[in-house]
Amino acid sequence: MVEHLFEDIFIVTRLDPDGKKFDRVSRIEARSEQFDMYMQLDVATEVYPMQAGEKFTMVLAPTLNLDGTPDTGYYTQAGRKTLADKFDYVMHGKLYKISEDSSSGQAAKVEIYASFGGLLMMLKGDPSSAASLELDQRLFLLMRKV
Amino acid sequence: MARPEERLRCTKEPFIEDVGTRRIKSIRFSMFSGNEVRQSAEAQVWNSRIYDQDMRPVPNGLLDTRMGAANKLGECTTCHGSFAECPGHFGYLKLVLPVFNVGFFNCILDVLKCICKRCSRVLLMEKDRREFLKKMRNPKADPLQKSAIMKKVRDKCKLSRCPWCGFINGVVKKGKAGLIILHDCSKTLDGSAEQIRSALSHKKEKISISAIRMLDAATVLFLFRRMIDEDCKLLNLGDRPEKLIVTEIAVPPVPIRPSVFVAGGRMSNEDSITVILKSIANTNSILKETLQTGGQFTKCYECWQLLQLQVVEYINSDSPSLSDSQHRGLVQRLKGKTGRFRGNLSGKRTEYTGRTVISPDPNLRITEVAIPILMARVLTYPERVSYYNIEKLRQCIRNGPHKHPGANFIIQPDGTKLHLKYCDRRIAARDLKYGCVVERHLEDGDIVLFNRQPSLHRMSIMSHRARIMPWRTLRFNESVCNPYNADFDGDEMNLHVPQTEEARTEALMLMGVQNNLCTPKNGEILVASTQDFLTSSFLVTRKDNFYDRSSFTLLCSYLGDAMENIDLPTPALIKPIELWTGKQLFSVLVRPNASTKVGKTTLGNGNKDGMFSVLVRDYNSHAAASCMNRLAKFSARFIGNHGFSIGVDDVQPGEHLNQQKKKKIDEGYKECHDLIASYSKGALTLQPGCNAAQTLELKITGVLNQIRATAGNVCMDTLHWRNSPLIMSQSGSKGSPINISQMVACVGQQSVGGRRAPNGFIDRTLPHFPINSKTPAAKGFVANSFYTGLTATEFFFHTMGGREGLVDTAVKTAETGYMSRRLMKGLEDLSVFYDQTVRNASGGIVQFLYGDDGMDPAKMEGKDGKPLNLDQLFMKVMATCPQRGHDTLSPGEILQILNDKLSEHDASSDDGCSEKFKQLLTKFLEDRIQLLKNTRRSLHLDEDRVGKKDASIEECIAANISGISAKQLQVFLDTCLSRYHSKKIEAGASIGAIGAQSIGEPGTQMTLKTFHFAGVASMNVTLGVPRIKEIINASKKISTPIITAELLSGKDVLSARIVKGSMEKAVLGEVSESIKIVLKSSQPNLVVKLDMQRIEALHMGISADSVQLSILNHPKIKLKSEHVRVIDKAKLRIYPAGIDKCKLQYELHNLKSMLPKVIVKGIPTVERAVINKIGDRYNLLVEGTNLLAVMGTPGVDAMKTKSNHIMEVNRTLGIEAARKSIIDEIQYTMKSHGMNIDLRHMMLLADLMTYKGEILGITRYGIAKMKSSVLMLASFEKTAEHLFNASYSGREDQIEGVSECIIMGIPMQLGTGILKVRQRLDYLPEFKYQPDPILS
Repeated sequence: MVEHLFEDIFIVTRLDPDGKKFDRVSRIEARSEQFDMYMQLDVATEVYPMQAGEKFTMVLAPTLNLDGTPDTGYYTQAGRKTLADKFDYVMHGKLYKISEDSSSGQAAKVEIYASFGGLLMMLKGDPSSAASLELDQRLFLLMRKV
Repeated sequence: MARPEERLRCTKEPFIEDVGTRRIKSIRFSMFSGNEVRQSAEAQVWNSRIYDQDMRPVPNGLLDTRMGAANKLGECTTCHGSFAECPGHFGYLKLVLPVFNVGFFNCILDVLKCICKRCSRVLLMEKDRREFLKKMRNPKADPLQKSAIMKKVRDKCKLSRCPWCGFINGVVKKGKAGLIILHDCSKTLDGSAEQIRSALSHKKEKISISAIRMLDAATVLFLFRRMIDEDCKLLNLGDRPEKLIVTEIAVPPVPIRPSVFVAGGRMSNEDSITVILKSIANTNSILKETLQTGGQFTKCYECWQLLQLQVVEYINSDSPSLSDSQHRGLVQRLKGKTGRFRGNLSGKRTEYTGRTVISPDPNLRITEVAIPILMARVLTYPERVSYYNIEKLRQCIRNGPHKHPGANFIIQPDGTKLHLKYCDRRIAARDLKYGCVVERHLEDGDIVLFNRQPSLHRMSIMSHRARIMPWRTLRFNESVCNPYNADFDGDEMNLHVPQTEEARTEALMLMGVQNNLCTPKNGEILVASTQDFLTSSFLVTRKDNFYDRSSFTLLCSYLGDAMENIDLPTPALIKPIELWTGKQLFSVLVRPNASTKVGKTTLGNGNKDGMFSVLVRDYNSHAAASCMNRLAKFSARFIGNHGFSIGVDDVQPGEHLNQQKKKKIDEGYKECHDLIASYSKGALTLQPGCNAAQTLELKITGVLNQIRATAGNVCMDTLHWRNSPLIMSQSGSKGSPINISQMVACVGQQSVGGRRAPNGFIDRTLPHFPINSKTPAAKGFVANSFYTGLTATEFFFHTMGGREGLVDTAVKTAETGYMSRRLMKGLEDLSVFYDQTVRNASGGIVQFLYGDDGMDPAKMEGKDGKPLNLDQLFMKVMATCPQRGHDTLSPGEILQILNDKLSEHDASSDDGCSEKFKQLLTKFLEDRIQLLKNTRRSLHLDEDRVGKKDASIEECIAANISGISAKQLQVFLDTCLSRYHSKKIEAGASIGAIGAQSIGEPGTQMTLKTFHFAGVASMNVTLGVPRIKEIINASKKISTPIITAELLSGKDVLSARIVKGSMEKAVLGEVSESIKIVLKSSQPNLVVKLDMQRIEALHMGISADSVQLSILNHPKIKLKSEHVRVIDKAKLRIYPAGIDKCKLQYELHNLKSMLPKVIVKGIPTVERAVINKIGDRYNLLVEGTNLLAVMGTPGVDAMKTKSNHIMEVNRTLGIEAARKSIIDEIQYTMKSHGMNIDLRHMMLLADLMTYKGEILGITRYGIAKMKSSVLMLASFEKTAEHLFNASYSGREDQIEGVSECIIMGIPMQLGTGILKVRQRLDYLPEFKYQPDPILS
């Protein structure tokens, strides 16, 4: 079984916090229920529209293979069953930065940055959530509205 | 040790460098005596006729066939060579009477000044003579010192009575007109003149006696002949002095003064030299006849003078003694840009070159250049026939000269040349043998040099590989436009074909485009994507551009020639549909067959963090070059399909913008009007150091610039993202936000000379405005945009600004060109030697270690010339070498490893890292440790001790965020060190030339002679080309000398004011309330009353006593202390010095006018001082000179006080301070123009200017003191002077510098010429292991 790096349910709080800049991509701000994570994520809203107030499950996984074999890096199109089958919206990218956010005082937070072919994600929250993430790791982001 | 000596056996013939039959090692300059001229001549010339009736050269005429062939039809009768073969032979022309040589005229004068006019001995006492002779004979004295000694000798020779023969000598002077030397004894004939006069006074008739005698050439020759050799040595003469005087003229060979027949061979056009020589021969024969027939003395003399003038014209037709000459003398042939030295010797015309119009072709690789077939058929390469190419060459021969892959000539091994146009090509092809050389047409892959003028830096000429293509233009990839500074609006470029294998290899390795991607100016990448490539990259990588499978694969196929295997990356969006982003395309572009991801990509030139820079540094230049190729191809195809154009609707302002603009302009105008109103009322609050008018100008300019800026911002905000100009400006391909806002919103203020439009009419700019109007519109503010159109007056103002730009560019190019030339001449021979020192050609050390760390500026990665970009490298190491479960290090461990590494052998200072680099590395790691500590602190972990990774989640996260494993650190340090070592400058690098180019080239880009405000308004500093010129010339007087004085108590404004008050010049008139004349019957006097209120307010500390002192010290007012009486603190009474009653009134008024100008306080050379606030500290900017006095002013921190006047820094603080000041000033000037130049170049320049112990400007005077070579100086400036002086003193020139080697056609001792293959060719003596046999 695939071991998920991260899984939580988010609620979209805002769309395009710094103004709408692109026609087909929106930046969503979301907050998770379980770990109280804060997330900014670029979503191709043209193919997957999102509105403020919507709830969705988000999963970060290192591979789409159901048996957990690591991702080869090559894109295969064999119609095997994958993790993606359970989700509506799947992106692939790379984790490029982990840093700590010391500004918030006592409760230290970790910021995780990833780029999905230029669509950026920033995930901020409790350090424990970032435990299994590594720098320069290939990531799959899977989303499903609930 | 009995071991038989083994002889070195070579399988091949050892390589022996071919240096030709003879190599010129040195040149001695000297003069020919009449005898030598005669001996080296083939014919005597005495006939003034040139041709006889049949147009045949007259024997003993100027075109005597014994001196060579006069034109292509003639033949030399000495060697029977044709015009092409025979270089000609000299002839001679015997002058009846000797004449002076103009070139040596001053030398002759100097020698005459020093010798007795009777016995020809030097006019020195024996003791002095011995002393000077000893100095002169010192073998260590260089020519410069010798000529200085000679000057001293000349000044010392003031004896009027010759110590040897007792003859009384006078002063030797130059005559007023022509070449006449006068011997004026009138002042020195002590007594004897009086005696003569008294003796003559008895005579009835008036006889004027003149003690001035003329020294004619014959007399001088006689005197010179009698000089003894020791005296010659004393006067720095390299040869006998009689050679300074012309008795025989060497008639140059005919081929250098060809004669051209015109009008069907009935007449001929002669060269200037022939014409002058003809008239000389003519005058000479007349003079001879007059002398022989015993003609009148005056007639003879006149004739002689004429001969003298003609000989002058022959040597130098520009000489001031000639009125004006139509001819070109010998000196004129040598000097100037097109003269022999600069035109033919330093720069030579070559074969195998081409030139035509250029055009772009993105399908070519960046290393390629497309050559038209037409050109390729003419340009050839001599290829030697071998087993491997014989078939190809046979085909070339069969094709012949007219079909492209053909050949023009075959050179047989015996040297015969066969033209393929006139022979049976099939037979020639069949008979082709190994060892022949075929001059074949240029073919694909041949190496050519490509160049565009002006060649300002070494990247202006690079080697490309040829691609033979149809049509008629030279084509290349647009990415290479930058180094050539080329565009395609009709530019032409040159092409050269290296003709030997060695030349090709050297061109490829040293001048190849791939090896010159980075500029040595500052290490930035220069060959990079431009214009359309940037636009299309920008368009394709927009965040909301998604490509489905078909379009993405299409884009991928654009990248190459369909030859590459492309692996499709995993799409960024997998569900709901597969979509790729434009940025993923760049991953493909970088690595077509394995996908990675690049982050932010910057593709343009001029920065060090761009994608191409990273590729060059982290991989190699080949990777970067192939990426550029792919991008070029992709961009051209993409933008061709996508479409990109610009139209009027792109610059149409929207309704919102119009309203906003109107509002802003109205507001701004109102503000300006308010300012003008308050100015005319006099209610304007002044800015420091400005008067009311200046303040008004400043404020209005500020307001108007604000209008333009805000209008521009609004405009940029309102433009749609699809707007073409906006895209171009954002992607950096062309245009700036200012250009867009000028088109759309508002053109803005037009300025001339850094000010608003000047008044062309009386008190107004144009008659459309009221007199003295200072409103924005009346002073050149253009409120309209280019879209709306300009009003008539606005248009006129705009042309004024435009013209200034044009004029400035025209002026600047000439100025910077000359500056570059001087820099190049000054620095050309500096190169790095194997011991890392920088030396000039004669081996003099200029720097012990190049740039203090021996790094190559072209390879610097970091900002400000730092060798490595550690942040980037660290990130790369972290990514490529993941931790993989290894434990991370604690801060202490990190430092431990670092210190171990640095103390290891390869990092010790003697063979490697500079101290600076070590510090850099340590600093970087300390920062990292700090980060690590921060992370651990915020995660509530122990800061100094690092636990196991699996101890807790926090540990794990901390490791992830900023942990460094031992392996990572090891890899990081190893990479750092190995890369550092690979960045060392190579021995032989001609770092002088590179430095000169790096400083000269940016000069051309410096736009306008801008004046810059140094913190304080109204405080101008000269910048731009004029400032660079000042620094390089080492000017004694600079236009804006400014001393920056730091204060001891810098936080206190009051103390700053006091110091300022004590520095600024204050005259009595300024600080006195009144200066009145008091006329009293007893003693009339002047009363000076000081304005104590003002003095107190300005903290000047002036009292009546100090004023008294300053009046007494004034050089022009000659008063004594009893005349100036102090009455009280603020009052002085001054009595005139003279007792003469009649002059009293005059003297009082004179004093009254002088007194207000007496400087009572401050430094006289200081114009003014301004208090400048930096952060919370104050410092003083002092306009003016006298650094010493400023440093000595109480309250000034002398240690931190600087001046921008280099000569003054040298005078006050010494040569090292001056060197630092040169570096800082050049850097400051360049920085303020936004130009970034590696510090090492400036260091080298500063070191060159100071290494002789005094500051030498890069001017003709300075360079003459730096360099010893006459040929080099002659090829620079003042050609004739240097040559004449060199032959006077018999200088010997080693051919070792760059200029000399070029002139002599010898490879220079720089770059690849620094090394030679040296081999011991004679066998070692055989060692004997036993005694010689008794019998053999």
